[in-house]
Amino acid sequence: MTNTSTINAASTADRGPPAWTRWLDLGDRALAVVLLAPAAILLALIIVYPVLRLGYTSFFSLSLTSGLPAEFVGLENYSLMLDDPVFWETTWNTVLITLITVPGALLVGLALALLANLPFGVQWPVRLSLLIPWALPLSFAGLIFAWFFHSEYGVVNDVLMRLGFEGIIWFNSPNWAFAAICLTIIWKTSSFMALIILAGLQTIPRSLYEAADVDGAGRIRQFFEITLPLLKPSIVVALIFRTITALQTFDIPYMMTGGGPGTSTATLAMYIHQNTVSFLDLGYGSALAVVMFALSMCVTAVYLRAIRTKE
Amino acid sequence: MSAVAASGFSGLFSGRPLRLLAGAVLIVNGMFPALWILFTSLKTEAELTAKPITWIPHAPTFANYMQAFSDQPLHLFLFNSFMVALLSTCLTLFISVLAAYALARLNLRYRGLILSLIIAVSTFPLVTLLVPLFEIMRTLNLLNTWIALVLPYTVLSLPVCTLMLVSFFEGIPRDLENAAMIDGCTRMGALFKVVVPLCAPGVFTAGILAFVNAWDEFLLALSFNSNPSLRTLPVGIQLYQGEFAFPWPVISAALVVGIVPVAVLIVIFQERVVSGLTAGGIKG
Amino acid sequence: MNIRFMAAALAAASMLGSITPAFADTELKIFVSSQHQPDVWRKVLDKYEAANPGVKIAIETGGNTSEAQAQYLNTVMSAKDSNLDILMLDVIRPAQYAAAGWTSDFEGKDMSVYLPAYAEANTVDGKIVALPAFADAMFLYYRKDLLDKYGIAPPKTWEELAAATKKIADGEKNPELQGLSFQGKAIEGAVCTFLLPYWSQGKTLVENGKLTFDHDAAVNSLKLWKGFVDDGVAKKNIAEVATDDTRKEFQAGSAAFAVNWSYAWTHFQGAESAVAGKVGVTRLPALGGGEQASCLGGWEWGVSAYSTHQDEAKKLVEYLSGEDVSVFMAANGSLLPSYAGAYKNEEVLKAVPWFADALQVVETAKARPVTPRYNEVSEVIRTTVNAVLAGVTTPEDGASQIEARLKRILR
Repeated sequence: MTNTSTINAASTADRGPPAWTRWLDLGDRALAVVLLAPAAILLALIIVYPVLRLGYTSFFSLSLTSGLPAEFVGLENYSLMLDDPVFWETTWNTVLITLITVPGALLVGLALALLANLPFGVQWPVRLSLLIPWALPLSFAGLIFAWFFHSEYGVVNDVLMRLGFEGIIWFNSPNWAFAAICLTIIWKTSSFMALIILAGLQTIPRSLYEAADVDGAGRIRQFFEITLPLLKPSIVVALIFRTITALQTFDIPYMMTGGGPGTSTATLAMYIHQNTVSFLDLGYGSALAVVMFALSMCVTAVYLRAIRTKE
Repeated sequence: MSAVAASGFSGLFSGRPLRLLAGAVLIVNGMFPALWILFTSLKTEAELTAKPITWIPHAPTFANYMQAFSDQPLHLFLFNSFMVALLSTCLTLFISVLAAYALARLNLRYRGLILSLIIAVSTFPLVTLLVPLFEIMRTLNLLNTWIALVLPYTVLSLPVCTLMLVSFFEGIPRDLENAAMIDGCTRMGALFKVVVPLCAPGVFTAGILAFVNAWDEFLLALSFNSNPSLRTLPVGIQLYQGEFAFPWPVISAALVVGIVPVAVLIVIFQERVVSGLTAGGIKG
Repeated sequence: MNIRFMAAALAAASMLGSITPAFADTELKIFVSSQHQPDVWRKVLDKYEAANPGVKIAIETGGNTSEAQAQYLNTVMSAKDSNLDILMLDVIRPAQYAAAGWTSDFEGKDMSVYLPAYAEANTVDGKIVALPAFADAMFLYYRKDLLDKYGIAPPKTWEELAAATKKIADGEKNPELQGLSFQGKAIEGAVCTFLLPYWSQGKTLVENGKLTFDHDAAVNSLKLWKGFVDDGVAKKNIAEVATDDTRKEFQAGSAAFAVNWSYAWTHFQGAESAVAGKVGVTRLPALGGGEQASCLGGWEWGVSAYSTHQDEAKKLVEYLSGEDVSVFMAANGSLLPSYAGAYKNEEVLKAVPWFADALQVVETAKARPVTPRYNEVSEVIRTTVNAVLAGVTTPEDGASQIEARLKRILR
């Protein structure tokens, strides 16, 4: 990657007056508009317009089950949220899932990547093992792991009992259910982490380690002084993408526990879905969605910052 | 090989038995759930609810697969999933190649801002947009068509793919393009004849990402395409279970049928996916 | 495989064909819940098509649970989609559909022909929102062989039931045999679980849209179920058990009693059943000296307000909710009729003899709260029941939570 910038710089520097530059000068702006138009139209249609509608609706009392027409209520939906215990619980669950599964996936992913970077004679089974969890649809993963953690027929309890422990009724207790969900999410997401970190590992020049060997640095020091710092850019990007998707967690708890027992494993995305699709309280649901949007935007802002500082 | 083995972390695992152990850990972690579902799909319901549970099926049966195909039009689910994923992959690649080229090459004043907007706008959870999106699709008369899913799925993958391609394009020397244009290519011609082929690994990785994202999605597919002959796989799988039935072996069989195509795709292309990521694309 | 595949392809092709109808035909699209014999309904619709040339009817099925179907229909209807003409609705939904204006009224329809509970369930604010498709109720299934063996009469109270399970457990000494299986998972069935003993104490939950919550009755109800878990009458992981888990457990011979809907009977008598011929069915027990109460189920036919074929759709619904169809579906699909007379019909009794006893249960079953915001009410109750059974919340706290949250919803 380092030679890229020099080539770019060089090509900019000796950009003489060949015939094509005139075309470029004339067309740069217009061309940009043409090239970016498809993306802009699609995003406007699928995201911007619906988000604006959500924002607008969030200021109205609009519940389809009330039989009443929409009525402007200002910030009432937002103030309702403040003393809605389920809102706080689901938000807290979402934050907790993020705080547990993002570092969890990073650690597991790092370990998997380091293992996968070993010089195996046959590479494809290792790669396949990293790619399968990533390519498995979230809804499939939720179903499969719900079955894994089943108290009577699940393989997890079977293993526990074979090891002499007592089986756990996973979905009967908020803590165990939460643990099962987090484990599933970590399993599902760590392999993509691992792939990105593996990609980073393979770009680290071997000569750096050889030099460190000459200097007499131990393996552990090499890891912390060479591997980790050089991996930092890939890790940061992977972390931020993961954080944004963790805030949106829906499929896995939806499939595994449906939010139970009680509402102890429900996430904000599930609560929004429930308010809009099941309860048809579009005003309140929209306000919740706006809050979630704000949460995602905070993380996105951090992300954009990270990219900026890199440039 | 020995030079690699001596470097860094791998030095700890230079012994062959330890390396095999590492491989085993990786494979069990990655494959076990899929294998477990494969085993489950070969069991009868009676064996499934026997206690203690069995691991390897005692009397493997393919009846669940037959039933999976006869209870629901599973082949149609597969076909729909495949077509929707393929179409949205093509659309994603087309749109993000154009956008990435503009961002990588056109020295735009607001480059950073546009890039930020594309990313920011796409981080909005689609779950929360379900109802407005449904209304849009209805207005455009797109409900119960592949397009109703292709459009949002494209948005799902657009930011990641654009980011990857921007950094790939920046890695291609401008001189190559210039040379092509001097030879009489238009700018777009140069993009598709020179830049894209040179970035093939990156385009490829972006394509796989888009395909998997589209293959994954459940909620929109559930809501937009209710016509049985237009359902996608993740939605179709849900139809095997019900209030009054939860036939695990049949569901497992359907899951296996759903996992196999992607697994095959990955086995064929795994090297390219990993090398595409390695080439630095994903680093933004 | 090949022939199967071809058949499926042909079926799919005909499906595609039927959604692009010939010019003159009226194309009606009808939503049928997939757990209620769409293939048997198809036969009924075929007859209608044959008798009414020019009308083509396509069946559409959605998610497989009542909740999943509600979610799907909510999405479709809140977008005012005109795609569906006729909707099969769970008995708890007409009030919501009426409030949202999603169904068209059946003006001047004589509802007295149906069982009174269904005439009532489909009439909201004096308007007839939908017509009954079929009836249902919760029953107590019991192992006749075990009860005979220990000389126990079918229990009339929950206390008797608990004593009976203890006697059976002591005698059988089979750790795999549970006393009672019921629905503790946070699904619609858990709402009935809560309401059965609550109603038995003579209390109601909602009257005329107003909350009439009785805290003590709620505590008693939750205590009863939690006590069953603690005393080993029900198994420890009951909070994981959904409707069909109950069916499977009882069918496999691993429960002495089961609370379930009518569909379970056919399974219990089926070839795969370990308990065929050993099953009895009766009314659900009472709590202490209270009355025996069951939960009313069943599904209804509504005509979408957005349908562009209002008259044709209404005509079809009149046919589908007629007595002939009700008898046909009872005899061929084991769905309980919504007409009292049909329970004495020879054809029905030949196919499903136990329906003779079912009428009394259906007639005395109670309807779940009638409110447009039923989905929210249901959510509150079933998550709390689930939490209490899982031991996360005490029955007292659970009752208080239900009360507080219901007050918020029905304010």
